[in-house]
Amino acid sequence: MRIIHLLGLLAPTLAYAQAAPTWLEDNLYGGGKMNAVVVVVAIIILGIGVWLWAQDRRLKRMEEKLKK
Amino acid sequence: MYATGRAADSRSTFATPQGSRPIQAASALRTQEIVQLIRLEAALDIRQRAAWGGMLLYVVSAVYVAHLAVKGDLGTATWNALYWIILLFAAFNALARSFQREDGGRQLYLYTLADPRSVILARTLYNSITMVLLSLLSLLCYTLFMGAHVLADADLFQFLLAVILGGIGLAAVLTLISAIAARAGSGLGLMAILGFPLVLPMLLAVMRASKLALDGVAWSVNSTYFLGLVLLDVITVTLAWLLFPYLWRD
Amino acid sequence: MKHWWWKFLAIALLLVASVAALRTPLSPALVHVSPGRIAPGEVTIQVTGYNTRFRDDLGVHLINDGQHFCPERVDVLDATHLRATIIVPEGLRNAMTDLVVSNLRYPGAFFTEGLGAGIENGACDPEREMTGSVAAGFAFPNRSILYESIRNLHFHVPMWFTMIALMAISMWKSIEVLGSTSLDRDREAVSAVHVGLLFCALGLLTGMVWARATWGAFWTNDVKLNGAAVTALIYLAYLVLRGSVPDAHKRARLAAIYNIFAFVLLVMFLFVVPRLNAIDSLHPGSGGNSGFADLDLDNRLRIVFYPAVVGWVLLGAWMYQLRHRATRINEMQEA
Repeated sequence: MRIIHLLGLLAPTLAYAQAAPTWLEDNLYGGGKMNAVVVVVAIIILGIGVWLWAQDRRLKRMEEKLKK
Repeated sequence: MYATGRAADSRSTFATPQGSRPIQAASALRTQEIVQLIRLEAALDIRQRAAWGGMLLYVVSAVYVAHLAVKGDLGTATWNALYWIILLFAAFNALARSFQREDGGRQLYLYTLADPRSVILARTLYNSITMVLLSLLSLLCYTLFMGAHVLADADLFQFLLAVILGGIGLAAVLTLISAIAARAGSGLGLMAILGFPLVLPMLLAVMRASKLALDGVAWSVNSTYFLGLVLLDVITVTLAWLLFPYLWRD
Repeated sequence: MKHWWWKFLAIALLLVASVAALRTPLSPALVHVSPGRIAPGEVTIQVTGYNTRFRDDLGVHLINDGQHFCPERVDVLDATHLRATIIVPEGLRNAMTDLVVSNLRYPGAFFTEGLGAGIENGACDPEREMTGSVAAGFAFPNRSILYESIRNLHFHVPMWFTMIALMAISMWKSIEVLGSTSLDRDREAVSAVHVGLLFCALGLLTGMVWARATWGAFWTNDVKLNGAAVTALIYLAYLVLRGSVPDAHKRARLAAIYNIFAFVLLVMFLFVVPRLNAIDSLHPGSGGNSGFADLDLDNRLRIVFYPAVVGWVLLGAWMYQLRHRATRINEMQEA
């Protein structure tokens, strides 16, 4: 029952999916291209996170040197 | 009198390498000095004729390789692009010698004698002349091997102007870069790394201008590009003139 | 405490701008019609709107070369879908027919067949179109290939502003290096370049994602993209130059000279050469593309965009200071 219900919900999506052939296009173009925004914000946060992590390691190296 | 004063001045700079010796900001253009320095460069080049021969051989081989690699007729765009690529590499090859050929002793000697600004202006001018000659010779060689069919409906005056302005621009950028690379004590490798991204603006503008010239567009269409090229050349030379004294000192 | 105010400002601006950039709705638009082709005779079309509130009283028009005609029947399925049955007249003049739903217009919605010298009588009253309009409050413009991704304007573009600001700081510090013997100015210059390169990488990556979603390719041969690539190459070369000179004072001076020279040429490349080669760019504001500025709601983008830029530039400055201080402590330790 539930599966049939789910399929019913998916039906319009499937109809649109034919116009978007690849996984990538489906994900980037879907939802009015909101996913492109999500990916962009994620890249920025990840990038700054990686930078912070690198600075953290630098400081840690300096701290270890200080202990010696 | 004057010369000894300058020598004493520079000796004190050597005693304290980091001491901030005032750069003569108000130093006027010393035309005579520049002319003499250009003569010196020319004399050196005449003595080292092999270097010029090497440069020409380099261009001829590059053109010949292109001729072998590309069979059949080239379109205007490709013909133009290939010419500038060959010229770009030739420029790196030719101008790397500019500062690398002198050892510490000779540089020291030159330093005590001449104003650094005269040195950079003289070198830039001399290298510009070299590059213009080299580009014209390679153009000759290039049309010989790759065919001159694209020149059929070209505006030759515009094209030659683009070649000359491009040669001057490449020389202006690469002279300072060559000095930096020589100071850093590294060879051609560093010069290529430092120079490539900096000659790109020049190269793109000149490729566009010469492409339009080959297409035979009206002067009014292409004049923006020539104006841009002249602007780039002037800015580059001015920067080199401003910055070189700091490079020269130590 | 008194030196902290701009850091608070950075956080506050970023917070406000990011929330506004993500939460502001898009103005309503018509995004899809099917079928996309009409021919004389009876046709049933389905119209999909975005952020619309379709109601029963809206006016649906088709406009071909200034001549209006209306559907026989309009069924509103839900807030974003409606179906209309049209009897397409013979003799339409133009190969493209526009669709108007209330105050929304979809130019060139239908390829039109069976062209002729014009229809006899404009079949419906142009006044009808203004009823049942779909009001929007504060909203971003809805552009046909951008849609929601127009929000990226507030994330992607500030990366470039921040990068240029950091490189300008670096050049300024380099000028100070030449005027003094201070190694600290040199450390500041290289720290700014480091953080600037981070923002360059972020700008490139976010740009690639946005380009894929908008233009269909990760990399296009565009002057702005070439500018970004050249910037990365120049400053990587700057780091290579630093790496190849062992003596600290000599390194400071050589790097400063290269930095000043490179920045000026870079500015030429980024801001002058694109003007020359304007025809090549896909970016807004050049090559015949309309800038975001001439969108109908441009001020609504600006009111979010400028705070975002200031916020990101301040954050970049903060990051560069942190890096500089860490570098200084590190070198003092080693000395």
